[in-house]
Amino acid sequence: MSVQEEVDGTPLPPGWSAPAHQPGAFELPTTTFRERAERTMARPFARTAIAGATDHAAELTWLKFEGVDHDGLRDQAKQIRAHAIANLPDYLEQWIDNAEANGTIVHFAADEVEARRIIAEICVDEQIASVVKSKSMASEEVSLNSALEGAGVDVFETDLGEFVVQAMGDRPGHVIAPILHRTKDEVHALFSEMAGRELPNEAEALTAFARAGLRHAFLTADGGISGGNFLIAETGEVMLVTNEGNGRLTTAAPRVHIALVGIEKVIPRRRDLPVLLPLLTGHGTGQQITTYVTITGGPRRGAEPDGPERTHVVLLDAGRSALLGGEFEEALHCIRCGACQNVCPVYRQVGGHAYGWVYGGPIGAVLTPLFRGQEEGGEVAQATTLCGACDDICPVRIPLHDLLLGLRRQRAEQAQTPRREQLAFAAWGAVWSRPRLYRASTVVGGAALRVLARGDAVSTRLPGLRRWTDGRDLLLRRGRG
Amino acid sequence: MTDRASFLAAIRATPRGEDPGLPDRIQAPDAPTELRAGESPVERLVAETELVSAEPHRVARASVGEYVAELLRASGSTEVALTEDLAAQLVPIRTACEAVGVHADDYRVVATDRARASRLHATVTGCAAAVAATGSIVTTAAGAGRAGALIAPLHICVVEETQIVDGLHALFDGEALAGAGSLLALQSGPSRSADIEKVLILGVHGPGVVHLVIVGD
Repeated sequence: MSVQEEVDGTPLPPGWSAPAHQPGAFELPTTTFRERAERTMARPFARTAIAGATDHAAELTWLKFEGVDHDGLRDQAKQIRAHAIANLPDYLEQWIDNAEANGTIVHFAADEVEARRIIAEICVDEQIASVVKSKSMASEEVSLNSALEGAGVDVFETDLGEFVVQAMGDRPGHVIAPILHRTKDEVHALFSEMAGRELPNEAEALTAFARAGLRHAFLTADGGISGGNFLIAETGEVMLVTNEGNGRLTTAAPRVHIALVGIEKVIPRRRDLPVLLPLLTGHGTGQQITTYVTITGGPRRGAEPDGPERTHVVLLDAGRSALLGGEFEEALHCIRCGACQNVCPVYRQVGGHAYGWVYGGPIGAVLTPLFRGQEEGGEVAQATTLCGACDDICPVRIPLHDLLLGLRRQRAEQAQTPRREQLAFAAWGAVWSRPRLYRASTVVGGAALRVLARGDAVSTRLPGLRRWTDGRDLLLRRGRG
Repeated sequence: MTDRASFLAAIRATPRGEDPGLPDRIQAPDAPTELRAGESPVERLVAETELVSAEPHRVARASVGEYVAELLRASGSTEVALTEDLAAQLVPIRTACEAVGVHADDYRVVATDRARASRLHATVTGCAAAVAATGSIVTTAAGAGRAGALIAPLHICVVEETQIVDGLHALFDGEALAGAGSLLALQSGPSRSADIEKVLILGVHGPGVVHLVIVGD
């Protein structure tokens, strides 16, 4: 009897195979933020679900740290991250030495093209025909799945949400909750189609369906691909957190494990984890700790009963080292918990897809221009209200607000803003920095507004300000001036 | 293809940011993952185990074998694997399992046969440590293997009271992890997901039911 028929006693549907869809393409630079945001906002479920889930997550985070010195903990975390990044080459070198001593084969990807080529070549060399993948934002950055499919490798995303994303040809909508924007009905329709029969429309049954197929994938895949939450320099280890257990199985079941990890994930020591881990999980999901924390150091050794024959780690630069020592270095402190998304008034309305690339919310509005360049990604740095809620919740105290302002300034200096906007601000600056002109402008402006007003507000579509007055009234101040 | 030297050289060529230094902390941080003053480690472990939806049992050493065998029998498990980190409890558990008709094999043997591994109803493991403040059990590649704790739908972990550490600080700063081998793993309760409309489901890729058998004298 084959494994396929045995898994969990559930026979697999004959057509069950790796989802054939290509992942959704990045939308930068072909669409605007407004166009992408409108698509999400036109779906009432997505709007309600994103706002509800992010509210809940942020509340759980604050509750989790009640009664402890949360600020003190964050100060320690910031110090660890700042120290690691300030000494990045040294810690990377230490990590590489120790990882190689553990038997890990370390590869170096200067950019996304190289990352794709290295991993495709590992698959060829190791004769890997199918891989199970545990959620990795770095692999999203380099569009790994399409590269693997191009190399003839079957790819199974094994995080439940990522599996749905893959099967739908979608992209993840949140850094830790990939299908926040999708309904149970959509998942039900998808899985029923894959099963070739009507499945019960219950989360439990849908999860069981995915589990059965994915367990088969775990037991038959030649390779496992994961990301990494931290690289521990003193031991050469890679740490992964998951709740489903797919991360652990990815590093355990296949004969080859490949991890793709950004170079900024390095931390000095295991004993920095008691500070960083509760912040990662508490700010990510509001959990004391995630169900599984997996720290791997190379392939199976001597008498160990299971584990991969070989472990490869691909270190990814792809724009990271260019930030070192500069104005935006603190963006590298990010531990990808997603908390800034949960409190961002813009993200909560428009969701992750509006940001056009891999990362959404405030950190996405920072990383997208930094990694994709101002010309392609600069627009999303405008997609914030600068309210500072992200600074407030960031577990490693990244000054996201300052980074966003810096990126906006840089964009204006590089003349990436529309010509009309440049002229308007130049005129405004010229007038309001001269007292007489300033006073004159208030008289003229006030008179103009009174002409346009109906009652106490201007709600007609002002030329040049149509987008502003479309959604808001400009209230008049009565009295002098 | 970029090699190690050129990859690191490119990073070294960048300016160096401000370094706040790194304190050599000897105190546990003030975090939810540490014990509070005056708390009993074993009581906190029991409480946290329940909070993560696992089931704690406090059992006297002499009856561990029978107790575990009864948990397995009551769950209807007949195909079971035992890992080597059960140490002194391995033989009593195996003997008690045989007495109630539960077939218990060495995980080392089962792990070589994937079809058989996929048929397992339960695994019984020991651990390298248990973390009181997080309800976590800590396993190693050398002990329970990489997948020993999560290959089957039911996982029973035998924890000696002497293996309980206060919090994450004690775990990562102490000696509990010496000789872990190629994997060091924390697991806190059953596998879970809330990806589909935030409905919590237990038992996704790992076990849906987890028992901690805490052994004292």
